[in-house]
Formats: sequence, C-alpha cells, structure tokens
Amino acid sequence: MTQPRRTNPLSPLVQAVPAVPALAIFFIGPGAGFIERRGAPFILTIVIVLVVGFAVFAALSWLAWWRRTFWIDDDGDLRVDSGVIQRSARRLQLSRLQSVDVVTPFVARLVGLVELRVEVAGVGDSRIVLKYLTRAEADALRGAILELARRESAESSDGALEAPEIPLAAVPNGRLLAGLLLRSTTAALLLASVAFIAFTLWAQGPVALVLAMVTGGLPILSVVTQFLANYGFRVTRTPDGLRIRRGLLSTQVRTVPAARVHAVELVSPLLWRRWNWVRVTLTIAGVEGDELRPDVLIPVAPRAEALALIAEVLPGVDVDSLVFDEAPRQARWRSPFAWRYLACAITPQVIAARSGRITRRLGLAPHARVQSLRITQGPWERRLGLASLHADTAPGPVDVSARHLSYASVRPLADEELVLMRRARRVP
Amino acid sequence: MGDVDDAFAPPADGWVPVSPRLATARRITLLLVYVVVLAGGAILWVSPLAPAWTIAYAAIAVVAFVWVWWLIGRRVASFGYAERDNDLLVVSGLILRRLVIVPYGRMQMVDLRAGPIDRWLGIATVQLHTAAATTDAAIPGLPPDEAAGLRDRLAARGEERTAGL
Repeated sequence: MTQPRRTNPLSPLVQAVPAVPALAIFFIGPGAGFIERRGAPFILTIVIVLVVGFAVFAALSWLAWWRRTFWIDDDGDLRVDSGVIQRSARRLQLSRLQSVDVVTPFVARLVGLVELRVEVAGVGDSRIVLKYLTRAEADALRGAILELARRESAESSDGALEAPEIPLAAVPNGRLLAGLLLRSTTAALLLASVAFIAFTLWAQGPVALVLAMVTGGLPILSVVTQFLANYGFRVTRTPDGLRIRRGLLSTQVRTVPAARVHAVELVSPLLWRRWNWVRVTLTIAGVEGDELRPDVLIPVAPRAEALALIAEVLPGVDVDSLVFDEAPRQARWRSPFAWRYLACAITPQVIAARSGRITRRLGLAPHARVQSLRITQGPWERRLGLASLHADTAPGPVDVSARHLSYASVRPLADEELVLMRRARRVP
Repeated sequence: MGDVDDAFAPPADGWVPVSPRLATARRITLLLVYVVVLAGGAILWVSPLAPAWTIAYAAIAVVAFVWVWWLIGRRVASFGYAERDNDLLVVSGLILRRLVIVPYGRMQMVDLRAGPIDRWLGIATVQLHTAAATTDAAIPGLPPDEAAGLRDRLAARGEERTAGL
C-alpha cells in the first residue's frame, strides 16, 4: 500500500537531547573540579575520548535510524523493520485498531516533529511508536490508518475521513490550578507546610523547616506535573468516541470509544464541594492508566458538566436519579466518618457504589462490564451485622465496592445484579 | 441461618465441600515451615542467651503450631463451591468470609494446577479467570477426577454462554 519509509532524519538527534542536561550538570559540577586537578594532557584525553565516543554513538544511532523503516502492507498491516545486526520485524493488524494518537514531546516540538502511537487490541506486543515524523506526515499516516481500520472493521461509517468534532467540555486553566491545589491531600500537606514555617519563625529554629520542605515540595511537584499534563484540557465527540486533548509541554490526543469504557468514577474532594466540582476517571478495557494512557475523562468540572460527559460514555444513565440502598447506622462503628455516605444502587443500566467521606467517590459500572461479584465479611462486619458487595471490573482506577451494607440486604442485591448482568450480555 | 437474607447462604443443592486431603497438604507445608522454626530454636539454645529465652520461644512456637494446625482444619472445611444454572459460586474463609459469584458467560479461562505435594496427595486447584484481575475464584483441594470434570464443564458452559456475542 505504501512504500517503506524512514522516520525524520532529525530523530536520533531529538532522542539524544534529554541526555544533555545530565552531561552538562556532570561537567559543571563534580566533573569540573576533578578534571582541573589533572592538567592539560588529561583534559585533552578526555576531549578526544568524548569526541570519539560521540562519533561512534552518532554513527550507531544514525545506522539504527537508517535501518528502521515502516510501511503499510497489502494486508492492511502496519509493519516496522528495525535493527542493525539483529533485525526485527513487527506487524500490527490495523483491523483491530484501538487508537492512533499524535503526541508532541517538548524537544520534538522545538524542531516541529511529532510522535505517532498506534495501538491495537490484544495482549503483549500491541503498540508501535513512530518517533519522529513531521506534523503533516503524521496526520496523513493517521488518516490513512483510521480509514483502513474503518474499512476493515466491516461496519463502515462511510463519510468523511475526519468527521467533524463536536466540543463537549473544556477546563479553564485557572480552574484546573485551583482544583489541583484544593485536592484533599495536597491542601492538607500545604497547610501543614504553612504551619511548619510558622512554627519555625516562632521557635526561631530550623527544625520544622526541613519538614516543611518535604510537605511543601511534594504537593507542589505533583500540582505542577498535573497542571502541565492537563493544561488546556478539552473533550470533543467524534464518530470514533470521545477525543481528549491535553498537555502544555507535550500535547496528547486520545480517543476513547464508549464501548471500551468498563467503569466510571465521580470523585469529589472535600474542598471542591463548595463549588460543586468533580473529577471523572475511567477504567478502559485493557488499559492501565499511566502517563501515556490517561484515565481521566475530566480533571475538574462543575458537576452538571461532568454528568453530561458521563452520559456520553454511559448512555441513559442519570447519576442524580440513582436510588441508593444506604449502609445502616450500625456501620458507624466500622467506618465512623464515611458511613453516612456508603451506599449501593442498581439501575437497569449500571451498578453504583458510593464511598469515602473526605473525598467522596461514586463508582459506576454497566452490567455488561461487570465480570463477577464478591460478597465479603470481616470480623468487625460480622459483629455489627454488615457485609460488603464488590463488583469486579477490568483492571483500572475505578473500584465499585459497596462496603458495610446491612447483612440482610447484600445477597438480594447480588442476586438482582446477577440477573441484570446476564440480560446485559444477551443483547450485545 | 440458611434463610434467603443470609449473604453466605448455600444454594438449593448445598455446597460441594473440598477434600480433607487439602488440610493434610497444608499441614505438611506447616511442618516444613517448622523445620526452620526448629532450627531457630536450636540456634537460640546453643547461643549464650539465658535458657529462659529458648523456653519462651518454644512455648510460643508450640501454641502457634497448635492454633494454626486447628485453623487449617477449620479453613479447609469452610471451602465450598456450587454450580448453578448460570453461575459458579465459591465460598471460603473463616475470619474474612468471602463468596465469589462468576457467571459462566464472563469466564475467560479455567486453570487446573497442582504442586508436588498436591500431586502426591491427589488433589488439584481449579482457578477461574475473568477480564477482572480482582475475580478471586480458586477452588483448591479437589480430587483430580472431580477437578478435571469441573474444569471441562466450566469451559463448555463458558463457550456456550459467550458464543452468541
């Protein structure tokens, strides 16, 4: 279908750039003093070794780049051949395509290059990352891959290659920052730091300052990372699913088909509730959330906006009209803070469970996605006449567990859910 | 107990218990662990520490041994499973009680395993896997014939239920 091609010639260079700061720090810092003490011949040797080393490294990188080609073959598979001495051939079946994402790492962006990530369904070797391509090249390839995948997966939605996107939600960066600062753990740690600093000033001793650096440093680091990653967060609707764009230093685009959403969680930290803000995370089939594969549907949004987004991935589910079976008063001995909020609800579409007091969580899973049910009872629960019901879903951040319900209510709830699970699978 | 509201109530046909040989297998493992415990006692005995230490150590070791020996029996007796029309139920646990319900249609794989001690005693474990990692449905201590039969029945039902998808 296409001729074998190489990635952009600048690629080896861009990949080597992250090593520069480490080298620079070494030569400015510990290395410099060490070298100075040895005199001119030594410096000369170092320089020669460095130059030769660099030349060898550059030659090898270039060779690796030269030997690495990619193309789409006649069977509609994406193929990559690589390796200088040991050749390796990789092949992704595009008919099982799950996502094609264009990612812009910081350094690559400076020279106008992007990275293309192609993922297919399956375990193990299911992802190819092409670094780096020009923007135009990546867009063309992405279009070609999407079109191929659409044609091959039978149910063709014949239409434009890139169907129009309908904007659904966007997170203003000010709200994002406020939301991150007001997360329960972050806020508590920052507050502790302020207290430590105040104590230091009052006691005129440096003791608490060390603590303040830890309690203040960690949350600030986390806020900065999260802010950069979720900067300019936008969600749009496309025929392939919801498309999520985010990131300041490196832009990430990700498409989440509704059919792959296994569970949804609505999270509201204590300090967000004043503004009625929530965060929504997802469990996506075969995907463990990490930096590359975000599991966040929206990092911070007014409740109504979040509920509208949830309705996109769980059609027909109205979170506000859920009727909950609440944990009995007895549960206060087992869970003194959260007990009022603990509850379970079963609707024709989903099973839902509430938990948490300081940070409230509401987990939802469609019946068709629940894999199994577990009823558990610890020694305390037995004393108090309680038991917990867990709905097992694919691995991910969402936990649908209704804890400390009354003992008598758990088995009937499980039986009800089993019937719905069976029915949901029958009509796929 | 036994009423409909009992969360761990058995189905109409009751629980199928596992073989008491599972208790034997676990007690053998316990004895193996106690070889190490005994070695620790010996070291304590020849060490310059006062004999009182060794006596205390031995007392704790003996009490723990008797308690765990007894607990193994109770725990093995707590295991049970039941094949219903549409799902498999597995019950287990004494202190932390647990009932796992896996609909046949959600099963992805059924495993049969047996370690060296298990094989020697003639028992095996049947483990069910679904797309969820948290599904913890293992039935240990089944006689090999029963285990193989159960695995085949489960696999067949799983295929039957998922065929329509």
